[in-house]
Formats: sequence, C-alpha cells, structure tokens
Amino acid sequence: MSSAQIEIQLIASLVAIACAIPGVFLVLRKMALISDAISHSILPGLVIGFFITHDLNSPLLILMGALSGILTVVLVEYIQKTKLVKEDTAIGLVFPAMFSIGVLLIAKNANDVHLDVDAVLLGELAFAPFDRLIVNGIDIGPKSLWIIGTILLITLSLLVAFFKELKVSTFDAGLATSLGFSPIVIHYGLMSIASVTTVGAFDAVGAILVVALMIAPAATAYLLTNDLKIMLVFSVIFGVFSAISGYWLAHWLDASISGSMITMLGFVFFLVYLFAPNRGFISVLYRNKQQQKEVQLLTFLLHLNNHTEENERHINHLNEHINWHKIKAQSIVDLAEKNNMIVINNQIIALTPKGKIFTEKAIDYIITNDDSKIESMKKDFFLFRG
Amino acid sequence: MDLQEYFNLVFTDYTLRTITIGTAILGAICGMLGSFAVLRKQSLLGDAISHASLPGIAIAFLITGTKDTNVLLLGALISGLIGAFWIRGIVKNTHLKTDTALGLILSVFFGFGMLLLTFIQKMPNANQSGLDKFLFGQAATLLIKDVWFMAIVTSICLAVLLLFWKEFKLLLFDADYAKTLGFNIKFIDALITSFIVLAIVLGLQTVGVVLMSAMLLAPAAAARQWTNSLSTMVVLAAIFGLLAGVVGTGISASQSNLSTGPVIVLVAAIFVMFSFIFSPSRGLLFRQIRFLKNRRDLKLHKTLSFMFDLVKTHENKSHPHAVQILNNFQGYTRGTLKKLEEEEYIKVQGKMWSMTEKGYQFSSNLYNQNIENE
Repeated sequence: MSSAQIEIQLIASLVAIACAIPGVFLVLRKMALISDAISHSILPGLVIGFFITHDLNSPLLILMGALSGILTVVLVEYIQKTKLVKEDTAIGLVFPAMFSIGVLLIAKNANDVHLDVDAVLLGELAFAPFDRLIVNGIDIGPKSLWIIGTILLITLSLLVAFFKELKVSTFDAGLATSLGFSPIVIHYGLMSIASVTTVGAFDAVGAILVVALMIAPAATAYLLTNDLKIMLVFSVIFGVFSAISGYWLAHWLDASISGSMITMLGFVFFLVYLFAPNRGFISVLYRNKQQQKEVQLLTFLLHLNNHTEENERHINHLNEHINWHKIKAQSIVDLAEKNNMIVINNQIIALTPKGKIFTEKAIDYIITNDDSKIESMKKDFFLFRG
Repeated sequence: MDLQEYFNLVFTDYTLRTITIGTAILGAICGMLGSFAVLRKQSLLGDAISHASLPGIAIAFLITGTKDTNVLLLGALISGLIGAFWIRGIVKNTHLKTDTALGLILSVFFGFGMLLLTFIQKMPNANQSGLDKFLFGQAATLLIKDVWFMAIVTSICLAVLLLFWKEFKLLLFDADYAKTLGFNIKFIDALITSFIVLAIVLGLQTVGVVLMSAMLLAPAAAARQWTNSLSTMVVLAAIFGLLAGVVGTGISASQSNLSTGPVIVLVAAIFVMFSFIFSPSRGLLFRQIRFLKNRRDLKLHKTLSFMFDLVKTHENKSHPHAVQILNNFQGYTRGTLKKLEEEEYIKVQGKMWSMTEKGYQFSSNLYNQNIENE
C-alpha cells in the first residue's frame, strides 16, 4: 500500500465514523430523510461561499454550506407548521429547489468556478491526498483529513458531553422537556452537527455518499440491537468496514470509490436484513411460520377438549373435522405428541393431563382477552416448538 | 432573445418546439399522477424511486450495449419497481421506519448506479458517453419520437385514470371502505404505484434523477392549495405542471448556460410559493388576515361586554356614560369606539357614550353565550 492509499482509507474511515454518529440519532428520531435534504441543499451555500472566497478549502465554505443546510431544516419545519402540505411533501419541495439554485449558480458561472456538479454528487476521494495542508512549510497531511478529523473530534466531544440529553430527548421528548432539557436546542444542535458533517464530508465523498453513510450503518445496526450504545458502536464498525472494503472494491473494478463504498454499505445491509437474528427477514418468516403452527396446535387441542365422542377424535378423521390437509394434520399431531400433550390409543386421540392443563389455561387467557400471555406460557409447556 | 423572437422560434424551430411540447407533456402527466402521490403521503417515494432507477439504466446499457432511450428507460422502470417493492418489504418485515427505508434504498441504489456508471466509463467502448445525462437530464436530447412516446403513455395513463377514477378516489380517502365494498385494493394500489414509477421514469431523460421528485410534487402541492376536490386538483396540477414545463423551457432557452431541469423545478417551486401565500382559502396571507380580523372582533366584543356590564345596572339602557370609564380597560381604543359606533351598537356624544337598543340586544346575547360556554 502506498501512503496515498493509506490516507484515502483513513479519510474514508473518519468520514464513516463522523457520519455514523449523527446518523444513529437521525434514524432513531425518524428524520433520516432530513439528511438527504441537507446533503442536497448545502450546494447553494457552498457555491455562494466559493464566490466570496474563491477558495474551495476556505472554512467560510463549510460555514455557508452548514448555514444553508440549517436554513433547509428551518424552511421544512416552517412549511410543516403551516399544515398546507403533509410533512414529507415539505421535504420533497424544499431540497430540489435549493439544489436547483445551486446547479444554476454553478452553470451560470461555469467559466470561473472550479466546481463540478458530478463532483458535488459523488466527490472524488481519489484526489483527496493530493490537496495537502502545509503549515510553516511542513507538509502535515491532506487537508480533508484535517477537516474531517476536526469535525469528528467536535462530534465525539459533543456526544460524550450530551449523551444523556440526546438519549432522553430521542426516546422520550416529553420527559426531556419536563427534566428541563430544551428539545429545540438539542434538535437544532443535532441538525447543525449533521449539516457540518455533511459539508465536511461532502468535499471528499460527495452528497449522496454522505446520506448513505448516515442512514445505512445506523439502519443496519438497528436491526441487530436495541441498545443505543451498542447501536452506535455497531454503526461505526459497519461504516468503517464498508469504507475500507469499498475502497478495495473500487481499486479492483477501477470505478468510483464513493460508489463502491455505498455498494458495500448496501451489501452489508442486505445481509443483515436477511440473516439478522430476531429481526432479519428469514427469522421473521420462520417465526411467523412457527406461530402459525402453534396456533393450529392450540386449535387442535381445543377441539380435543371440546369433544368426548370418539369419532371426533379419530386420527383419520381429523382432516374432515378441523378442515385440514392430511400432511398438515399429521405434522400437528406429531408436534402435540412430541410435547406430551396427547396420547394415541387405537387411533383415538386423547389429551394427557399436561395437555388438559395447557388447553384450559389457554382458554382462560383467551376468554379474558389476555392472548399475549399464551406466548409466555408456551415456554413452560413446550419441549419442542412448532 | 426577446419574447417575440422566442414565440417565433417555438413555432419554427424544430428542436425548441420538440422540447417545449415534451416538457409540457411531462409536466402535465407528473402533475396528474403527482396529485395521487401527494395525497397518499408518498411524496418522497418518488424521490427514492427516481434515484433507484439509476442502476437499471446502467445495467440495461451493460447488457444490451445500446443507448436506445426506450431500452434504458425499461431498465430504469424495472430497477425503480424493485426499489419501490424493497422499500415496502423493509417497512413490512422489520421495525425500521418508512423514512429510513426510503433514505437507505435511495442512497444505496444511487451509489450502486454511480459505481456502475463509473465502471462503464472506463470500459473500452466508445458508445458509453452520455449516460450521465440521466443525472440531471438534458431536455435538448429529446427527439420527436420520445415526445410521441410520452404522449402515448400520457394518454394511456389518462384513459386508465378515467376508467378507474372512482376506485382511485375511494382508495385515496377511505381504503378500508373500499375493501369492504369488495374492490381489489392491492391491484388498485399497485396500479397507482406503477403509474407513479412510470411518470418518474419518463421524466428521467428531461429533468434527471435528482430533481425528478420535485416535478412530481410541486404542481400537485400547488394545486392542493386551491381546491378541496380531487378532480379539480388533478386538472389544476396538470395545468401547473404543463405551465412549469413550458415557462421553464422558455427561460432556459432564452438564456445561455441554464439547464432546463433545474429551471423547470424552480418555476414549479415559485408556483408552490405563490399558492402557499395567495390561495384564498388556505393561503398564508388570507389566513393571517382572517386571524387579525378575528382578533379585532374579539377586542370589540370585549369592550362591548364591559359596556354591557355597566349598562345593565341602570334602569335606562341608553343612559349616557363617560368615555373615561373605559380608559383602564385593555380592549378599548379610540378605534374600537368608532367601530362600535359605525355598527350602531353605541352612540357617542362628546365625551359620553350610550348604548343603543341594537347594541343592548347584541351584547346581551354575547353575555349569554359566554355563560353557556363556561
């Protein structure tokens, strides 16, 4: 690895961490799309800042960009407050307009602006190491590294300092207010951090990657845990992993680094979406099947409990009486037998004492509208789940 | 280029005429279908789908190797639909919320698309340039056959819309009722969503992936402010969209270096702003005026009920009182006194006022209302 490669991976990882932290809170606060809006609407701020300073690396650019990001949030909230349109429409109206202004400003001054719309959307990480920060004639590393490093430092210290406030206001805004934290201050603080991070990261990785880096790791982590701290750690890990593996994918395909980082993020999300324990697609599917089978088992036991006559309990007539397919009936009978709920004598099925207790308890819960308790009761009775 | 010249050109210049007709049709269909997206709270679905269609364009090119617009748009359509249904899957199967699902699919699909686009650009194939016109759209690349295609799709949409009008309307406002009536909700729902995707895909070539969602939303959001009736809204939105297309094309053609897509979006945004402010029933301006008027009326009533409290202690209702008494009273100003006199609730003579019969009736009712409310 050359030093430029290491630097690129370092910048990418720092960007991933800096984005993942506000991203977690945005996802939890159901404001994920605000990051999309911000990332598009910092463009006019950047362009205007550039007109003033004529320097792409001036801090004023970051300030102007962040200001226009916050302006977007304010505008969106103002439109939402008027109740003229629904919330999501407000977002969808504001940011394309802001972005259009930015694009037109660039287009109108195309000759003297060294800003390219493609670069704005995608960034160019490959060039980041060539723009060095030189202090007193000594080269101390790429500028983007310093910019994003500073932003990350600020974000981290704010996170540590206000972790409790953020946590409370995210999960229980009412409690936060009654404890004396102003939700508005925290809200705008978070929005400002998101804007500043977007602007700082944007130069290196582009507007769209910023959105992906904010939302995707947090969403992936949210599928795996309910604990805020663990979620923060997971999303940082996913972000950094995708950043580094994405870099090597791009290296191999000779394609856009930011594009392949997003692709890796999407790939990781897809894997977790399918295979996450408890919440993944497959385990949800499996659990639904299991529950379906257990409900059928309960129906079957209730049927047995209700009928003393032998012809209703004959093993070969089950499919007529409960209207089940033969294979399905067989599998339910097997399950019941494995759990010692029934005994079969001369092809006549009878409830065991255990089966009887289970059924009667279940009836009690159903009658008293306490269906949810059946689920916890199952633990005491089932040796084998459906 | 002045206006006169522009109008001449629209009728004589082939390219300009094609583009103008194209953007007009696009605006109309987007406004029409956008109304449904806005009312169904699916505004940002459009944004997600338009971004999600990018990899489809790239894959279609990778497979076929042609740049035939229809083939590319077919790819866009397929990948947009995959994106839309995956969003639905995420929301249904996990506890992630809609906004997260939308943002995720939007950025991930778009990033994947950009990966493919940059990959294609490095390929040893001279044919690949120009795919990136789908990012911001290039109305100038519209050909007359594209316009015909758009016109045909629009008329099909219109026909289906009219055919299923009742069902669409029912689904929008009361889906449960529609279900109890025996309509196949899933089918109608899929039909609307597919049409929205179709409209987005049609617009990709003209306004591009990034700004397409505004094309869909803005005319509908503007139209919503002027009416409460669905049919009026759809027609209005189509007209707004059409106007935005034509005006936007006009502005961008008359200036150098102005891309058509962003200009159209900005024109549509101005329509929205105008509607937000000046719509008579919902607009901010008239709402503020109504608010101020109510506040003034309230002040008037407050003064009047204070006067009534004084007057009712006297045998003679029109017994004159000094204006001075009112001085310490909050709702009272010289203006309110004048206003009350104009309404003939009181008579003012010099520094004295007295209540008229009409004023007494009115304020005693006011008084009763107050008690009832308490």
